[in-house]
Amino acid sequence: MPNRGKRALRIFFATDVHGSERCFRKFLAAAKAYEADALILGGDIVGKGLVPIREHNGSLTATVRGDSVTVPREDGERLRAEINQLGFYSVIGGDDEVRRIETDREHREAVFNGEIRKQVEAWCELAAARLPDDVRCVITPGNDDPREIDAVLKASPRIDSPEGELFELGPILLASCGDVTPTPWNTEREYSEEELFGRLARMLDAAPANAKVVANFHNPPYSSGLDFAAELDKNLLPVLRGGRPSIIPVGSKAVREAIKRYQPVVGLHGHIHESKGAQKIGATMCLNPGSDYSADVLRGAIVDIAEDGSFMDFLFTAG
Amino acid sequence: MASTTSASGGGKAAGGQSLFTRQSSGLVRELGIPAATGIALASVAVVNTFINFYSGLFNFTRVDMVLPLLLGAGIWLVAMFAYRYLLRAIPRAGGEYIYMSRIISPAIGTMIGIATAVGFSYTLSANANFAAAYVPFALNSLGAAFNSSALTSAASSISSTTSCVAVTCSPGLVICAVGMLVIVGLASVFSLRRIAQVILALVIFQVVAFVVLGFLLATHSHQDFVNALGSYSGKASAYSDVIALAQKNGVPLGVDVGASLLVVPFMVLNYNGVLYSYYVGGELKRPGSTYLWASAISLALLIVVWVGVWLLMLNTIGRDFMQAQAQVGGTSDYASITGLQANAGGLGYGLVLSGDPISKILIGLAVPAAEIAVDLAFVAVVTRVIFALAFDRMLPMGLAKVSERNASPVNAIILAVLVGIGFTILGSVLNIANISANLALFFALVLLAGSIAATALPFRRPELIYKPGTTDVDRIAGIPTAAVWGAISTVLALFTVGVIIAKPNVFGAFSVASVGSLIVIFFSGPIIYVIARRMRLSSSSIDMRLAMRELPPE
Repeated sequence: MPNRGKRALRIFFATDVHGSERCFRKFLAAAKAYEADALILGGDIVGKGLVPIREHNGSLTATVRGDSVTVPREDGERLRAEINQLGFYSVIGGDDEVRRIETDREHREAVFNGEIRKQVEAWCELAAARLPDDVRCVITPGNDDPREIDAVLKASPRIDSPEGELFELGPILLASCGDVTPTPWNTEREYSEEELFGRLARMLDAAPANAKVVANFHNPPYSSGLDFAAELDKNLLPVLRGGRPSIIPVGSKAVREAIKRYQPVVGLHGHIHESKGAQKIGATMCLNPGSDYSADVLRGAIVDIAEDGSFMDFLFTAG
Repeated sequence: MASTTSASGGGKAAGGQSLFTRQSSGLVRELGIPAATGIALASVAVVNTFINFYSGLFNFTRVDMVLPLLLGAGIWLVAMFAYRYLLRAIPRAGGEYIYMSRIISPAIGTMIGIATAVGFSYTLSANANFAAAYVPFALNSLGAAFNSSALTSAASSISSTTSCVAVTCSPGLVICAVGMLVIVGLASVFSLRRIAQVILALVIFQVVAFVVLGFLLATHSHQDFVNALGSYSGKASAYSDVIALAQKNGVPLGVDVGASLLVVPFMVLNYNGVLYSYYVGGELKRPGSTYLWASAISLALLIVVWVGVWLLMLNTIGRDFMQAQAQVGGTSDYASITGLQANAGGLGYGLVLSGDPISKILIGLAVPAAEIAVDLAFVAVVTRVIFALAFDRMLPMGLAKVSERNASPVNAIILAVLVGIGFTILGSVLNIANISANLALFFALVLLAGSIAATALPFRRPELIYKPGTTDVDRIAGIPTAAVWGAISTVLALFTVGVIIAKPNVFGAFSVASVGSLIVIFFSGPIIYVIARRMRLSSSSIDMRLAMRELPPE
């Protein structure tokens, strides 16, 4: 039964926008649209792809949605915006630069990192320009985010990025962790279950005994209904059982154990885009709003917290 | 930093450059153009055109179908572009409910949503009844194919009637209809991708039946058909007798353009469903382009197949005969000339012409296959509307529950199929013909709602369709392009609504029961919205209205 006390804090939580400019702008707009006091972006904020745009004789050529697209130089910004809409970065260069990106892996990764950094810096500035003064904005990294962005987020005067820390947010303490257990993709910030539990426990042990904690853990708890995904083989292809893709829980047992032991009032999770859901583990309401960033849809959850820090109610949104 | 790789399937990269990806996780959206095309084509039911051909010929005299088929397709082409903007702005499941609630108002959106859910559930039942009505035809075809008297006698016994509560009903056919709905319900529990594959297979089956029919029509001369009908009817002069009967009854034959134009609304409804891939917008890969391609391919295919088969029928069967048969096909005089079922139209002609068992089987099973495909597609459509309503807390949250295994809304499927079965049983014991008479009007009103939403989109929510990097929308002569397409679509939808209202003898007579049902269906939405919102506000701090806010990206 929802708590009917007085609301002290409204959180809007979203996750896994993966570099989508449009979704990030929607995220900022959510403060006003959903009357939120705090915005939390729970990890996997950077994009997955880099598209080289070849400049030649006053025109630009790139591969967009699998098709070769050529536009006049003056339409370059529009082309880049369209590429970014897919959650990809783009870089304009002549034949030599494009060839170097294709063949020189180190150079490619340097360009990729540069674009990621530029976008995160731009987002921080956009947040400063657009957010009302009284709205808190928390952005924490996820396993797909390179560690280089942590410093960029922490340096922003308008963004709070309390990764691995307890952070006071009105009546609650926010505990954030973007680390996950191993994935088939060998991404950043992966740890064994034991190591992950140790990291979570160290953070949560530091909370005062009577504190109300909201867990912002990118990894969802194991077998909670928030973590169902297709089972993949070693070639990252779906495993078929009985002619159908095998769906298995892929969440973290460490996260589940931490939630059971420490009982935060709410668990905010992401990571598994296709497993949107809400599930109570003990007294903790665990939420995964899922992600549909590639379609420009920002999935999220509105969470209301009472004056005493207890959970009141939630509502999934798709905007 | 995770390593980077060149993405496979990067496409036709000019100059060699492509897409480079970082190693990262996640996958979403699975329906591509073939699956979306399957849903669109199945929602139409390719072979149902014979029923609409028959209805046009039955309700109007001196009509030809080429012009109405082309004009009907033109109307849907306009609507296709209007809906493209809606799907681009709001690429999610739910169709008109989502568009109206986000663009116009939550209460009006709910009105359309509830009405759509109820109306489409009734359509499930109507399609199942329709398929059941064709079971005797299918059994007769199979009986002819296998030379089995057991099958033909089964066709006779299955359609035997008895007195039910208020009407004469056929228990055998009701059992067939309910059985079909149960099968459709069970099949719908699989993932949408798998269902789309089944639908596509059934659509291919229909197309093969169509091709066989086209082959039969193309490879037989007019005289062959005259002779074959004589042989089928046991009366050599059957062909000329049917035409003579019509002339004796004063039926005018030939072509009149004005009369043909009156059939346009029929053909608009004939194509109804061709855009329905937008209902599963939440599951489409690259929703805007997938929807557009699926709809355009479906429209083009239907035009080619339908116009083509009509032209072949003109050549082999003859327009005068088809017009005469439709007009006198229900009389006892006609029955004394031939046993050829008049409303089977082209399929009946194919049965008369076919000499081999394979084509008889294909023709016999085409309609049941089509209706199963239609119902599978409609279950997918109606359950996504129910899902969207439940997701917004307008219906119980349990209806938004999605199976982890198949990613399908199981509870919504169960509800839709149970309501469909309820309508089927109700229809067998009570006369609900009056209530369902205005189904055509209902579909036209839903199209009108979507068109209005597209017209309003650039004015009420321009930020959803801003050109990338700008704060303006695409324009034609200063008018937002989405509004232009929406307005044209609105005018054409209004024309369709107008003709349907003006021709109650054709599209269903209005009665207190039918109009009352339409009002109850449409106005239950806002009432449910108000009740659900008040109930939630009494126990929660979060107004459900927030869930219906579309976030502006700029």
